Amino acid sequence: MDESQLRSELKELIVKELNLQGRDPATIDDDALLFGPPPSSTTCLALDSLDALQLAMSVEERFGVRVPEGDEARPIFRSVRTLAAHICSTRADASSRAG
Amino acid sequence: MRIWITGIGLVTPLGIGADATWTRLVRGERGLVPITHFSTEGYRASVGGEVRGLASASVPQPEAAWSRTAKMAYLAAHEAIRASGIGGDRKRGRVGLVVGGTTGGMLENEELLAGVFADPGRSGELRGLLSHPLWATTDRLHEALGPFARVRTLSSACSSGANALVVAAAWLLAGDLDAVVAGGTDGLCRLTLAGFNALGAADPHPCRPFDVRRRGLNLGEGAGFVVLERSDRARERARTPLAELAGWSLGGEAHHITNPEPTGATAERVMRGALARAGLRAGDIDYVNAHGTATPSNDSVECAAIARAIAPGVAVSSSKGQLGHTLAAAGAIEAAITALVVARQMLVPTAGLEEIDPACASVSHVVVEGRRARVRAAMTNAFGFGGMDTSLVLTEPELGREHSPSHRSVVVTGAATLTRAGLLGTTDSVRAISENESGAIHSLPPLEPMLDLERARRLDRSARVAAIVVGRALEDARGLAPERTGLILGTSFGSIDASAAFMHRILAKGPRFASPAEFPNLVPSSPVGHTSIYLGLRGPVFAAAELAASGECAALQALELIAAGECDAIAAADCQEADGIIERVIAALFAEGGGRAGAMTHGVGGGALVLEAEEGARARGAKVIASVVSAICWRNGDDPPVLPPPRDVVHAQVLSPRGTSGVAAWLATSSWCDVPRVACVGSGGDYEALGAIAIAGAVSRIASGEATEVLVVSLARGRGYAIALSVP
Repeated sequence: MDESQLRSELKELIVKELNLQGRDPATIDDDALLFGPPPSSTTCLALDSLDALQLAMSVEERFGVRVPEGDEARPIFRSVRTLAAHICSTRADASSRAG
Repeated sequence: MRIWITGIGLVTPLGIGADATWTRLVRGERGLVPITHFSTEGYRASVGGEVRGLASASVPQPEAAWSRTAKMAYLAAHEAIRASGIGGDRKRGRVGLVVGGTTGGMLENEELLAGVFADPGRSGELRGLLSHPLWATTDRLHEALGPFARVRTLSSACSSGANALVVAAAWLLAGDLDAVVAGGTDGLCRLTLAGFNALGAADPHPCRPFDVRRRGLNLGEGAGFVVLERSDRARERARTPLAELAGWSLGGEAHHITNPEPTGATAERVMRGALARAGLRAGDIDYVNAHGTATPSNDSVECAAIARAIAPGVAVSSSKGQLGHTLAAAGAIEAAITALVVARQMLVPTAGLEEIDPACASVSHVVVEGRRARVRAAMTNAFGFGGMDTSLVLTEPELGREHSPSHRSVVVTGAATLTRAGLLGTTDSVRAISENESGAIHSLPPLEPMLDLERARRLDRSARVAAIVVGRALEDARGLAPERTGLILGTSFGSIDASAAFMHRILAKGPRFASPAEFPNLVPSSPVGHTSIYLGLRGPVFAAAELAASGECAALQALELIAAGECDAIAAADCQEADGIIERVIAALFAEGGGRAGAMTHGVGGGALVLEAEEGARARGAKVIASVVSAICWRNGDDPPVLPPPRDVVHAQVLSPRGTSGVAAWLATSSWCDVPRVACVGSGGDYEALGAIAIAGAVSRIASGEATEVLVVSLARGRGYAIALSVP
């Protein structure tokens, strides 16, 4: 799966798992901040810590990739783009080790 | 009037019995061990406070009828009653019972639930699920230790046990009871262990409250009960108290379903409120038994709030380093411990605290082991999921002010219903109970257009129905300040379908795939918590559980708290969401009883009303729609309670949301026997929220001039409620 397809899947996962009802996954920008300041800006989804836990669990369930906890998770959870990159690189590592 | 604690009973991971617990508590011993009740394979954190020796403790037969949670409650309540020496006749002795809970008999039902989820056709043993709901524990205690003059079951997650004492205090101040047995109980189970793991809130090692390295809580289990008694009655019996319950306060944070308010503003407000109620100054408090969960966010916020509300440097400890977090039991267990601190003039420590977090250093921590100290007054805190905060003040006898009995009159200023007839307000809600149709299930209008979806995204269906219907009733009440308004919601069974789905994931995929977002929605107080957050309600917030009469119970509970002066305005509601498993359990029950199984059309919907102290409503210029003339509850076997006669038989009505048959017999000897009776079948069928819908409908009948007085009478499996309303 290429990264752009992965990003689309992640957006669908985010809308479904975090119950962002009425939100069209396609309208989520690849670089929109997932967490952070309240929804003053349209480029931030303003998710919170409970969402982060749910997202980490469902990413692991769907893609078999664990997101580290704590401070290490911050850069990974920055945006859909960074999260997709983490999933791809983790999988690449795993397959190269397996190879 | 003063309220004395004349008996204490404890079942904790440190021992069965108050003295067994106390001895080890003072020594700083810890009851935190690897959990053995069930396999903990796959759980990141699986250290907990397990009660040992429960198997050999005896309960009335049949033993199988007792869930672990109910058994611990029995032992603790029994000990408290014996220690207090209150007589054997609880009814004539005017003794009440209040039980706080969250998981009920979940441990015994987890595998059954997961199985039913995987195979919905499975049947046969479903009746076992009736030991799960919160009211089942109370029913068992009522049978085994009662009958009590009045019983109540409530839930506010981790402050349930403390709130049981608040409800008991309100009952005593109202003057119709002499003593109340009040407490909380909760057993360890997979659901909560997996849930707190999923939230990243559980420490894999024995927890460290206030420590710089703290990583979260350990769950515990147990039960704590106290006998609260009017001091004049205790004196007549020549009893000296362990301590006095001098002050109490509760309030909602309206912030977040799992995260504490970072400012600690509500915790501070509630602590100040409890002090004010006690008539004490901050400097009078010598010790605080903190909520102190050992989660990174709770402990620092709480210490800062204690330093602001009480005093920097006040002695603080958390018993959770020894017992774990016993959830619904914690508030009651820790109230009992705080009473013992006052009675024995001995502080108890925070075990596991080695290096104090600078963010927790504004208070003075009691570490390693207990020490003697002069303790005239002490406080204990209990904060629950959804931001339901409670503080209690316990003192030496007669230190604070005396409480005046309070019987404020209560009025209704708004009502609403949400049924297949749509969302209806005060004047139209009469239509919600007049459309006598059946057959259509799950037929509410779409909820989405009635909600701010962004803010409502975490609300499950029953919380959404609650948010909509309570919001509508508050709109009609016009101009009530949400920050001073409370919310009490009925809960009949909790979220059984969702709990089954959650357990299935845990057992099929492993605990690491427990859903963190779903977990907080499984506690019975979740809809009330979510609704308070959605609507910004910061008064008293909790759930009342009473089988099919939970809506009636919520209304009565709100009335009692307003009459007792706890709060000026409270919305009371009940909302029922279709729950497939429960529908099947109920259908089986009705079939067994030879009842109207075929007539069971399980509907969805909700009803709400806004209750206010009459004085406050008049002062703010609110439009008063109805006055509450009387409100009572009883259990089978009680003498029929006396109702004030209707003023005008011709224009009065009796509404009965559960059929009229038993009602006729019940009213036969009352002055209401000749009043026209209307069986109230909700649009959409028979369901648990019907009581709340009927009360809203009764308000609506008065508002529309159809009746001058309405008596709502509900009889539901061994329990009854009656609420009389009249034109103001």
